[in-house]
Amino acid sequence: MGEMEQLRKEAESLKDQITAARKAVADATLPDTVSSTAVVGRVQLKTRKTLRGHLAKIYAMHWATDAKLCVSASQDGKLIVWDTLTTNKVNAIPLKSSWVMTCAYAPSGNMVACGGLDNMCSIYNLKGKDGNVKVMRELAAHTGYLSCCRFLSDSEIITSSGDCTCLLWDIETGTQKTTFAGHLGDCMSLAVPGDFKTFVSGACDFTAKLWDIRDSNCTHTFSGHESDVNAIAFFPNGNAVITGSDDATCKLFDLRSDQELITYQDSSIMCGVTSIAPSLSGRLILAGYDDFNVNIWDSLKAERVGVLAGHDNRVSCIGVSTDGMACCTGSWDSFLPSFSFKGQDNVMRLCKQNKQQYL
Amino acid sequence: MDEMDLPQMKKEVESLKYQLAFKREKSSKTVTDLVKWIEEVVPEDPFLNPELMKNNPWVEKGKCIIL
Repeated sequence: MGEMEQLRKEAESLKDQITAARKAVADATLPDTVSSTAVVGRVQLKTRKTLRGHLAKIYAMHWATDAKLCVSASQDGKLIVWDTLTTNKVNAIPLKSSWVMTCAYAPSGNMVACGGLDNMCSIYNLKGKDGNVKVMRELAAHTGYLSCCRFLSDSEIITSSGDCTCLLWDIETGTQKTTFAGHLGDCMSLAVPGDFKTFVSGACDFTAKLWDIRDSNCTHTFSGHESDVNAIAFFPNGNAVITGSDDATCKLFDLRSDQELITYQDSSIMCGVTSIAPSLSGRLILAGYDDFNVNIWDSLKAERVGVLAGHDNRVSCIGVSTDGMACCTGSWDSFLPSFSFKGQDNVMRLCKQNKQQYL
Repeated sequence: MDEMDLPQMKKEVESLKYQLAFKREKSSKTVTDLVKWIEEVVPEDPFLNPELMKNNPWVEKGKCIIL
């Protein structure tokens, strides 16, 4: 038997053992555990602000930790930092490359980052001495597009790429510290939990992986999706992960028991999930879809309890603020000239709880 | 797996060994803990509690501001 064939057999055997180990701890299901819990009442969120200003498709947005500012990236070649309360643009940062696919706000609020088809992650200092926002670092090493980036601190950032890897960077020196390799398809998204010790990545190999940042090992591989995993987020308590896929479903995976707990799907939903975010408690999951809607799911009962309709094109990104008060959606809404009064620019909509109707 | 070359395959096997070694807890415990955590935080979740929205900074409070 050739070495390759031997390794293949060993891999299959290990996968079977992992399946058995998962089965061995599967002594309870989520539906059984919440069988006597009522579904939450219908959730209605009202659009409170519309952030207008981008001239082309909005690909990404990320809230600052102060829950007031956020950053958005558009293929009009701009990163805009918004004050969501006033809808003022705090910064409009012109990008070298307009083919941007992701953006991130540093937890400190001092920096933002973005990247895309230029294969680079560019870091911008928002708090420069002269008030101008300048490129601080250009992190180049990926051999594919930058799909997502998330700061761990002002000195470290994690990126995911179409080259199937994720990288941990030292921002000071502009060099890569750690490579996370293992996905067999483009990495589409990543998420970091509150303790910044691990991260999860979703990829076009239909899996999600959990990685230990310090030792670079993959500790969990979650399969089950039947197509690309486009969106991924940590559950607020850090012990579960939610994913959204081109297979039109979202899934909840439990880290401690290493199981898929439930799938959020409906026969009437046939388009891919582009973005996902949990509410503060995790009881609600907000997911953006290719059919221009955001569906709100009761995470425990796996029922749809609300819809945010209002975009005129694919919802590309969604984020819930850290205090749980607002959710912001960004979209590929069609461009209309800025002099048109009633036009819908490429908009970011801020939605907050309006009222709740109990059925 | 068919697209992997030998070094990648070796790394895949190492990774699978590492993943197998993870100490899985019984889902009867972990799912109960998860549900409990969610239910404890639900009363603080603005999207589920209209009363918390009284302090909603995005709602226009009045039409006039005294300068």
